[in-house]
Amino acid sequence: MRFIFKTRYQQDIDLFKHNGQRFWYGVLAVLVLVAPLFLDTFYLGELSLVYIYAIAGIGLMLLVGYTGLVSLGHAAFLAIGAYAHSWFMRQGLPLPLSMLAAGLVSAAAGAMVGRPTLRMTGIYLAIATLAFAIIVEQIIAHWEPVTGGFRGQLVPDAVFAGVDLSRGAPFYYLCLLSTVLCLLAALNLLRSSSGRAMIAIRDSEVSAQSMGIDLARTKTVAFAVSAGFTGVAGALFAHKLGYLAPDAFTMLTSIQLLLMVVVGGLGSMPGVFYGAIFIVVLPQFIAIMRDTLPAAVGQIPGLEPGLFGLILILFLIYEPEGIRGRWVKIRQFFSEFPLYRKATHKRQKSYLRTERVR
Amino acid sequence: MTALLSARNLALSFGGVHAVRDVSFDVEQGEVFSIIGPNGAGKTSIFNLISRLYNANAGELLFAGQSILQEPPHRIAALGIARTFQNTELFEHETVLNNMLIGRHVHRRTNLFGEMLFLPKVRRQELEFRRVVEDVIDLLDLQSYRNKVIGSLPYGVRKMVEVARALCIQPKLLLLDEPSSGLNPEETEDVSFWIEDISRDYGATIIMVEHDMNLVSRASDRVLAVADGAVVAVGTAEEIQNHPDVQRAYLGD
Amino acid sequence: MEILQILISGVSQGCVYGLIAMGFVLIYKATEMVNFAQGELMMLGAYFAYTFINILGMGYLFGFMATVLSMGLVGVVLERGILRPMIGEPPFAVLMITIGLGFVLRAIAGAVWGTETKSLSNPFTGQVARVGELAVGYENLAIIAGTTVLCIGFYLFFRFTRLGIAMQAASQNQLAAYYVGIPVKRIYSLVWALSAALAAVAGVLVAPVSLLEPVMGFIGIKAFCAAIVGGFGSLPGAILGGLIVGIAEQFAGLYLPPGFAATTAYVILLVMLLVRPQGLFATMQQKKV
Repeated sequence: MRFIFKTRYQQDIDLFKHNGQRFWYGVLAVLVLVAPLFLDTFYLGELSLVYIYAIAGIGLMLLVGYTGLVSLGHAAFLAIGAYAHSWFMRQGLPLPLSMLAAGLVSAAAGAMVGRPTLRMTGIYLAIATLAFAIIVEQIIAHWEPVTGGFRGQLVPDAVFAGVDLSRGAPFYYLCLLSTVLCLLAALNLLRSSSGRAMIAIRDSEVSAQSMGIDLARTKTVAFAVSAGFTGVAGALFAHKLGYLAPDAFTMLTSIQLLLMVVVGGLGSMPGVFYGAIFIVVLPQFIAIMRDTLPAAVGQIPGLEPGLFGLILILFLIYEPEGIRGRWVKIRQFFSEFPLYRKATHKRQKSYLRTERVR
Repeated sequence: MTALLSARNLALSFGGVHAVRDVSFDVEQGEVFSIIGPNGAGKTSIFNLISRLYNANAGELLFAGQSILQEPPHRIAALGIARTFQNTELFEHETVLNNMLIGRHVHRRTNLFGEMLFLPKVRRQELEFRRVVEDVIDLLDLQSYRNKVIGSLPYGVRKMVEVARALCIQPKLLLLDEPSSGLNPEETEDVSFWIEDISRDYGATIIMVEHDMNLVSRASDRVLAVADGAVVAVGTAEEIQNHPDVQRAYLGD
Repeated sequence: MEILQILISGVSQGCVYGLIAMGFVLIYKATEMVNFAQGELMMLGAYFAYTFINILGMGYLFGFMATVLSMGLVGVVLERGILRPMIGEPPFAVLMITIGLGFVLRAIAGAVWGTETKSLSNPFTGQVARVGELAVGYENLAIIAGTTVLCIGFYLFFRFTRLGIAMQAASQNQLAAYYVGIPVKRIYSLVWALSAALAAVAGVLVAPVSLLEPVMGFIGIKAFCAAIVGGFGSLPGAILGGLIVGIAEQFAGLYLPPGFAATTAYVILLVMLLVRPQGLFATMQQKKV
């Protein structure tokens, strides 16, 4: 067990709580920085994809994990970011500005969805976001002058200061940098007033209100920020795909994003990264399985979404805190050995009472 | 002395059920004012009217001379009215510290973008918030729970944390909804001490809804008795306890 | 006359949405859970019917009954296996788990019956009732009739039977329901059985007008919109919502540019949520502190 003796308030504010953390995150930083030296193009691409999903996941985590609002339509924001970025690039905006603008456009769309859906809770909100996503999908398919319709459109190369950042190691570093910046922004948010207001809403709306938190405003902000991050991810995703078509942003994508934050562990930022790795690795794993398994099993249509569904179910039943939660338990087991008590993490179940009148 | 809060002919009904009817009272600056009454008398409803969770059907509610019935619920804290809840409404998955920091939300001077960049201004504000929070922690002896998650705390401590969180607003008026419910006699005794501390150190006016008559008579300056949503009597604890109408309200005719 | 014709096909389509929406409402009313896989249950019901009637060669009526019974069993199994461990968990988790369930059921259907479309043989195919210039397929009439009967049946059930009332009690306060001796868990199983059986009926009725394929369950999302439009938790609301969505969709398909018909349900939903978020038949109230 580790005891930290705090002598200054700053220690509670700092992002790293102790030197052990500083060391291990330092090691991780070095590893991801030198990764292009020993990874081949394919794996580098996959790792870039992890970063892209992680950025979208940071956005979704702020909304689902920290504000307690569920979105079943985040693929729409990914799409808006991707198409907006592609459009801005074609208008000749420099790459960083275009990415930022894509994020802002997406954030504006998020605020637009967030604002009217404020009075809704739980399922209502979830289904409203789903409806929004389906409408966006249709708009993309039919607004040909801008989106290219069903045929889709080519994404301009990400050239900045004469360097092509669209693929390989340069693209990897672009994704890495964006991820680090987004993560920092999110963590900063969570250690200051706005972030705490979001958490307050998640845990008790009534009491958040009496603490002076404007529910409507905070929820709208949460939606906008979440959509903004996802929009930035969308911009990078556009380059990763190279070619944008409506079928890249379906309901399955939304569910995949949600799966990422649930499997990673709701309410934790490291969880986003576990989740991102998970959803990037799983399709590869399935692809490998397809080749080794007998044809009858390996060739099942819809095997991938089916497995996604199955894993989602298993996690929700057996480990609702996700990979992150499991990791915390394992770590605690070893640090407290032999005193670890399973009951420490026993879930509290609550009896359900409806708020319906009839 | 002017009244800090005055209710004038407040009324509230839910589809034919009159939860509060024609209630008027004045709470003076700096006093501890208790509201007592049998279950279902409308005590908590009065609180919910003050914190604007319910919309009054009729009447007027003045805080420091200003009507507050038009204010949205989230503006109430900024005006200087803080409250606790009967069954505690804390932020379950957060630490005591963060719960209390949320109480500082109304004093926030930074914006979203500044916070994302964690500008020096934000850091300074956090440290300043922290000093206020630490003062409250000292007052209510919560040092050992500072970094504990609410979900892991015993009920008595949670009630204290809720009071602490309300105090972090640095309110002019503090509403305590049954501060002693679910507490053992020893803890209840403590309640009367810290109510005294709060009203002395923070200069806050306190309105509390309470069942424990010992606590009420020890802590409060004046008592309001309600029954069936209407005012029965107002006076000192002793007067109220001996008031024939109050006795009738509790015991029946 | 054309308008009347469209109206009738809209009503028939609306009844389909309404039937599935009733399944949502049933589970929500009794367990406060949202079953996002209701459309997939309908899909499974249709495939069961296909298996019993087309493959095993049972008669239509007999196959119909076998389908309803076996789907009821599937409902119980799902409740026991997947949803019972989730009692007392946040509604969001339950929603997610049923979304996952939908994906799994779709994969299973694809694995067992393949992804190529199939059609269910039935006694109505090709038969058309004519009134003047109006022509209505028997299969559409069957949908409308079936929906009406089920709707009345469920209304009576919740209004007058002990079991129906116990179901509502169980949903409104689990703990209190336990205390007064209502076997809450058994009731939950029963509700799932009922709801799955209802989905099976919908599946059998729908199969003749739309083809069988694993993705036919996506219709459930539109039905969900219908349920919300009607005010989640209200059975008549579900049917009414279904009719509104179904009719609007048919008209949008005819008079508006392409793309609009596909989004009609969602546009109606969003408008509804903006104007009257509690739905046509409100059942929600504010939390008490």
